Amino acid sequence: MDIKVFDDIEIAPASVVKRAARDFAAALSETPQSKAFKQAAEQFRQDQSAQEAVKAFQEKQMSLRPLLMLNALSPEQRSELESLQSAFVNQPVVQEYFKAQTEFASLCQTLGDAISESIGLNYAAACGVSCCG
Amino acid sequence: MQTVLSPQLQEAIQSLIDNLLASEAFVQYQQAHAHLGTNSEAHTLLEQLTQSQGRVRQKQASGGVNQAELDSLRLLQQRVQRTPVIMEYAQSQQGAVSFLREINSEISELLGIDFATFANHSTC
Repeated sequence: MDIKVFDDIEIAPASVVKRAARDFAAALSETPQSKAFKQAAEQFRQDQSAQEAVKAFQEKQMSLRPLLMLNALSPEQRSELESLQSAFVNQPVVQEYFKAQTEFASLCQTLGDAISESIGLNYAAACGVSCCG
Repeated sequence: MQTVLSPQLQEAIQSLIDNLLASEAFVQYQQAHAHLGTNSEAHTLLEQLTQSQGRVRQKQASGGVNQAELDSLRLLQQRVQRTPVIMEYAQSQQGAVSFLREINSEISELLGIDFATFANHSTC
């Protein structure tokens, strides 16, 4: 292994660490959680009804954005937005996607926590992710 | 519920952690952290800075911060910046963070998602 010595400590070159990172990513992509998430995402992309529902919800949300930011929606507007949201999230393919996403995220959190504990830095925070993602 | 990792994934994450800890950026960070830990003067200075920042923030929120407190905070900040062991620690931490971001990019590129975003425990 290509290693240089740094104050009597063996240093792993960046290329070696990056290879370990790619090996880790490859192992992670082979997990059932990752495969299920990819499959659910693909099914979601290919489901025309779900795509139309998400588009209708996003378009309405975008058109009401200024009012949403001011928390100034009328009861009718709020009801219409909620109805479009329900039509989107109640699609079976969307529910399956959210479930797969949650399970994959749970695995990633376990792995991120293991890295954070070992290196003494919060992995997600160090990579610039805030509490709101 | 505790997530059970496959032997392959356990081996891969352990290898990543071992290599990260042996990288130049993290070796420097650990050394700087150890130096800081043995320097009680630097520790006291950092504690004073944290306390002063907290007081000023609190008073700024209530609109009651005075010039003497701001001057005191600036003085502490200048002392921190003139303390090599603290600056060495801050710079090495920045180096470790930069390297970690490069590593996250490697992982994310292969996965097709931002791994750090998925690893984050969202609290809001």
